[in-house]
Amino acid sequence: MIIQLILRNLRIYFRDKASVFFSLLGVFVIIGLYILFLRDAVIGNWDQTFPGIEFVMDSWIMSGVVAAASITTTMGAFGTMVDDTVKKNIKDFQVSPIKRWQLVLGYVLSSVIIGIIMSLLTLVLAEIYIVAQGGDLLSFPALIKTIGLIILSVVSSSAIIFFFVSFFKSQNAFATASTLIGTLIGFFMGVYFPIGQLPEGVGYAIKIFPLSHSGVVLRQVMMDEAMNKVFAGVDESVFSISTFKEDMGIVFKYGMITFPFWAHLLVLLGTAMLFFLLTVLRMSAHKAKE
Amino acid sequence: MNKIIDVHGLKKSYGPVAAVKGVDFYVEKGKLFAFLGPNGAGKTTTINILCTLLSKDQGEVIIDGHILDYDDKLIREEIGIVFQESVLDPLLTVRENLEVRGSFYSMKKSDLNHAIDEAMRTTDITGISNRRFGTLSGGQRRRTDIARALIHHPKILFLDEPTTGLDPQTRKTVWKTVENLQKEQGMTVFLTTHYMEEAGLADYVIVIDDGLIAAKGTPAELKEKYSSDTIQIKPTDSQNAKLLLEQNQIDYREISDLLIIDIKKTIDALPIIKLLEGMIVSVQILNGTMDDAFIGIIGKEIRE
Repeated sequence: MIIQLILRNLRIYFRDKASVFFSLLGVFVIIGLYILFLRDAVIGNWDQTFPGIEFVMDSWIMSGVVAAASITTTMGAFGTMVDDTVKKNIKDFQVSPIKRWQLVLGYVLSSVIIGIIMSLLTLVLAEIYIVAQGGDLLSFPALIKTIGLIILSVVSSSAIIFFFVSFFKSQNAFATASTLIGTLIGFFMGVYFPIGQLPEGVGYAIKIFPLSHSGVVLRQVMMDEAMNKVFAGVDESVFSISTFKEDMGIVFKYGMITFPFWAHLLVLLGTAMLFFLLTVLRMSAHKAKE
Repeated sequence: MNKIIDVHGLKKSYGPVAAVKGVDFYVEKGKLFAFLGPNGAGKTTTINILCTLLSKDQGEVIIDGHILDYDDKLIREEIGIVFQESVLDPLLTVRENLEVRGSFYSMKKSDLNHAIDEAMRTTDITGISNRRFGTLSGGQRRRTDIARALIHHPKILFLDEPTTGLDPQTRKTVWKTVENLQKEQGMTVFLTTHYMEEAGLADYVIVIDDGLIAAKGTPAELKEKYSSDTIQIKPTDSQNAKLLLEQNQIDYREISDLLIIDIKKTIDALPIIKLLEGMIVSVQILNGTMDDAFIGIIGKEIRE
């Protein structure tokens, strides 16, 4: 029955063309802003020092876009759950011999699947853009890693979103929150501006926000080849790659400590577990019958 | 007598508002049972409690031997519910909807497919099984809602105002479907309605008003007890006719050129007709209707 529920949620999501479009809107907005306004500013006059720096910067923004997409599209996928609650369709599930956890699992798993599909679609768009601008396609190992990171990021954000969505009692509140989050997530994750250009306090806020870590790991994986190519043979005394990485949010430094790759993964995993636990606690306290 | 639903002292409040204030009733197996009442009387609250959707504040409910609140899962396997508002997914086809909801009842795939075919046949929606639910007409939707409630062969079918908002023709077909289920398959049907003529077709009627049972009985009993027959006379000479009635101490009302007299039984019309013989243009004897009975019970017209 969970498989049927997942199938149902997927069908409802993908048959509503508008909702598919709107959950990708956040992605289009970031890409559009980047192409129209930010690209030149981010690249600055570095293209004189480093020919081909566009490849690095395009990879930088696109890894951010993919990270943001893994959150916004997952959020969009929870629309069905909100809809069911608001329109009282859920009554039909409640009078059926199906357990609450089965229903919940159906919503969560379908949102994870939808989030993964939509994020992969975003990745395809991102790679098309990079290649069209003269960059290289991701190598196969990097691609596999990227996909793995997308899955982790979607799972983690679905845990957080599921927890918050369970508080929404109206379609309007959910829609407003989605729009707001969709717009702000780019800032919260340091997608629009390099974190080094932001005031220190804001930079710290971003570093504390758990989902920004998916941006970091995606940048590390998706920019690696571009940086190796463009920064090959650079004199470290003239140009510090580690400072560049810190400024661009490719690594997070807390005080003197640079977070290793696995620590970011732990943050994402820990967040997922913490929020799923919180939700389970909330669900068991909150009875189906009111 | 086999009580398939047995309710004692049922009470439910929403905060300070008491919706159901202590009702007792039972439903016999295989009967068509109607819960009649104005909007806000507590019909939906009662039906929601019986189908495990809402918790009760007080009282005992036994459904086919299972105690409500303790055996909810068993109860859920035995009941089918048609809600007032449709609860199916507009973007899925009729068949997809039935497949999803049918999967909740742990049936084998082949059994489920068979059960879905059967439910669609019963409600006559086989021809629209591949159409999306959202594109269907009101009557087709309602029949699909009923098919959904039938997939798992429930022993009791609950319908909350199944015909509200449908055109008269569709209302008739929906009603026919429900009647067939009860008569041919022996299903127990529990429905709420505010259409008097529908309640009149039930085996047993409970009139609920303001959270309390105002009257109960078969439609014939209710009509007998709460409505009276009337005789409508169009006299040739109104003045003389009225004088004659007054002399014989018969109460009458005058509506336009008609004299209307309430009588206990149809047969009571005869002496009055005899009395006025020779001064009658036309005469009509009207049986009490469920509408009259309802007004007699609630003391007012049904609140829409």
